Amino acid sequence: MDLRGSSVINFTRSAFGVVFRPIESATKVVTRPLGNAWNGMTHYNDVVKENDRLNDLVAFSEGSTISAIASVREAQELLSLNGLPTLAGIASCTAQVVGQSPSNFTQTVEINRGSECGLKVGMPVLNAAGMIGKITDVYNKRSVVMLLTDPGYSLSVKVVNIPAPTTTTTAAPGTPVGDTTTTTSTTTTTTLPRVTTTTGIPGFVPGVTIATSSTLAPLPGEVTVPVGDVGPNQPGKSTSSEITVPPGLDVPLRETGALEGRGISRTPIVRFVENQPRFGSVRIGSPIISAGGATSLAPPDIVIGSVSRVVNRTGTLGPILEVTLAANLKNLNFVRILLYQPSSERAVAP
Amino acid sequence: MIERVLLFAENRYARLVLVGLMVLALQTTVFNDMRPFGVCLQVMVLLAASAGLARGSDVGAIAGFIIGLLYDLVLTTPMGLCAAVFAIVGYLAGVVQSLVYEPTWWMRMLLGSVASAIGMILLPIASTITGATGILNARVLFVALIVGLFNAVLSVPAERLCRWVLTEPAAVR
Repeated sequence: MDLRGSSVINFTRSAFGVVFRPIESATKVVTRPLGNAWNGMTHYNDVVKENDRLNDLVAFSEGSTISAIASVREAQELLSLNGLPTLAGIASCTAQVVGQSPSNFTQTVEINRGSECGLKVGMPVLNAAGMIGKITDVYNKRSVVMLLTDPGYSLSVKVVNIPAPTTTTTAAPGTPVGDTTTTTSTTTTTTLPRVTTTTGIPGFVPGVTIATSSTLAPLPGEVTVPVGDVGPNQPGKSTSSEITVPPGLDVPLRETGALEGRGISRTPIVRFVENQPRFGSVRIGSPIISAGGATSLAPPDIVIGSVSRVVNRTGTLGPILEVTLAANLKNLNFVRILLYQPSSERAVAP
Repeated sequence: MIERVLLFAENRYARLVLVGLMVLALQTTVFNDMRPFGVCLQVMVLLAASAGLARGSDVGAIAGFIIGLLYDLVLTTPMGLCAAVFAIVGYLAGVVQSLVYEPTWWMRMLLGSVASAIGMILLPIASTITGATGILNARVLFVALIVGLFNAVLSVPAERLCRWVLTEPAAVR
């Protein structure tokens, strides 16, 4: 058994790779018709269905892509403006997946870039949909990527809890008691509060750490339900705190946890989410993004997936969240490696 | 020089390495793509089991170790993990084969299948011992079943191949 990080073992594996790759490539060429025939027999119907589904998806996505790009750019500009780290500031390297692990017990893929491209162990790997894993072995012209579903994978993440849908009850003026018209909907019916700010960002005052707000009184007959009236952060209610939460700042709450892979047949889970009332109960569909931080394996705000199931536990134990990954790990082709090496993976100087 | 090359080529374990490379190439290409029920078929463990069935427990253990070492070189598991497991598989196959009086072809198929399945169960156990977590679950039995069934089909030709590869040098001449 080797000791991890042994230079002799790494050299042997690398040298064997150099010798074995031509044999493997030749075998791949020779056996490709056999593989294609097998795939034709076993996956034809799936491919047809997948093709139909993807055509629908492309049509649906084309419209939203343009607005999404604009939003991402605006967000990156805003982060840069405030001196916060963004993915745009991290160099990256594009690679192609050339093979997957022949083992049934590890979830890894091999890419055609290695140390020549500046790749190092621990760097996060993404595709167009989101995070797919991290680099675990680097050779000269190839690297091994451990997928998010591998039982050995763990990453600190943020759960962005979606605010609960607002229910408003409005009574028409002059309506007698007992004949109240009750309207219940999942959308918020609000009149925009008139907030005095010096920027275009609601509730944000440059250079001021404690944000304050001054809301004008509602007009006569105007029913006003500020968005901030729902959820735990209610404007004007925290009398013991000097921080006043401005209306309109009903941003989704975030909580950190640890994402863990559980093998190819099971979805990853998020553990260690604190069970605190401020955060509320996690809703299905809430996005999961990387948490970042000095010791994290990935920079912040990389999309990982969404909550598909919430398993509540008794006592102070927080819930366990099952995650549907944004990236389809079964069909990986081109991937992007962020040249971001976490401090925990950096070699310690002797 | 040529004499030395010929002597090397006559060595049965040298032949095993060369054949093992060919089978490894098949394992990482065509058998890696063919995943019935989501299970990657394992012909390397079949080769180890067939070596034991063809030439007995001692040769089977050594052959299994060599085959496993080749497999370790393309996996990310700790070096020597597959070598240790495949050596056990080769040894077990040889021992069980010696207990059966004049085994028929279907008996050899059965032995090859069972030995492969045992290898697929031992592999995650060994991985867990070396520190891997989360891989020892019920799916291991499913993987062992599928690999065992498939390897039963290929066990007879694999055993013939191993019988030729592991022939004594004197018999080759």
